[in-house]
Amino acid sequence: MEMMNELLEKYFRGETTLQEEKELRQYFSTGNVSPEHQIYSALFENFEQEMKETAPRPVHRFLPEVKIRKRIWIQSFAITGIAASFILLFWIRLPQSSEDFAVINGKRIDNTEYIQRYTEKKLIKVNTMLARSMKPLQSIKSVRQNMQPLENLSDVRSKMEDIQNKLQFK
Amino acid sequence: MSDVRYSALMRHYKCMESTQFNSQILNHSDQLFRLAKSILRNGEAAQDAVQDLIMKLWEKKSKLDEVENIQGFILRSMRNLCLDTIRQKHEEDELPVEIEFIELNPYQQTEQKDLALKVKRMIDKLPELQRTIIRMRDVEGMELSEIAYITSITENAVSVNLSRARQRIREQIINEQKRVEETIWK
Repeated sequence: MEMMNELLEKYFRGETTLQEEKELRQYFSTGNVSPEHQIYSALFENFEQEMKETAPRPVHRFLPEVKIRKRIWIQSFAITGIAASFILLFWIRLPQSSEDFAVINGKRIDNTEYIQRYTEKKLIKVNTMLARSMKPLQSIKSVRQNMQPLENLSDVRSKMEDIQNKLQFK
Repeated sequence: MSDVRYSALMRHYKCMESTQFNSQILNHSDQLFRLAKSILRNGEAAQDAVQDLIMKLWEKKSKLDEVENIQGFILRSMRNLCLDTIRQKHEEDELPVEIEFIELNPYQQTEQKDLALKVKRMIDKLPELQRTIIRMRDVEGMELSEIAYITSITENAVSVNLSRARQRIREQIINEQKRVEETIWK
């Protein structure tokens, strides 16, 4: 009792520590309060009530949605960029890390000279095939050249009609 | 706000930066509200002030990492914003004080049985600095150094104001008790 009196006096002088103030709150919250201290119960009861007071509306609803969206876009671009650079890194580095080889008729060939000669041979073959397939196009060109005089026939015909008309008029 | 937009917003908060903002600022929203309400003595105005502060902090969220004492910083900002609001309202018209803070007539006083509410009214009648300090100490459980930082005064000044506030409330409680006793004996 005496200790509580001293603690209360100390409290009202503003000299108590946080721990001592906690002890005072506990004393007044137990309900087993001395009649002479009963007068201060309402003070500590009020503090307990105020501690429980919360903001009526959730504060996060106040934040602007547009800005968050913008941020999300930036983040998604960043994530996509990182992923793309990883893929690019693997793609570029993969041939460097492995040896040069080619698969010909289902067999792995490591001899680079052989591969080169084989490739050249195949390329010449492709070239020959292309030249052969271009031959019909050349004959079309010659036919077109031979057909050129026929295009002048219509002009001759129209001139003849003009002369005929003039003669009839006279 | 629709549920779809609300849930979308909540998903956004799970993102890295928003979560950081959440832990830094939004977790203190109740504390901010209590401080604003204590200074402004009006629930609606307190909520508007909290909203205003959160928006300002959100716009400057990238700079918040540089702040060492984030709790102290936001509470100090809240108090300054509330004091600005009071100044502005004082120039225009008085900030409407909620009904629970208005002086009750003798009939209402005899009807009012909740002594805790009376104490709340007593604290609300204290000067702004004293009521802010007493609540920061007795409701929020803050150290004197923290209160000194938020209120921009020395620790000694905090201690003096805390003592004055408690003494004043004590006197009022004793006077109230006497008044009640006299009413009973009459």
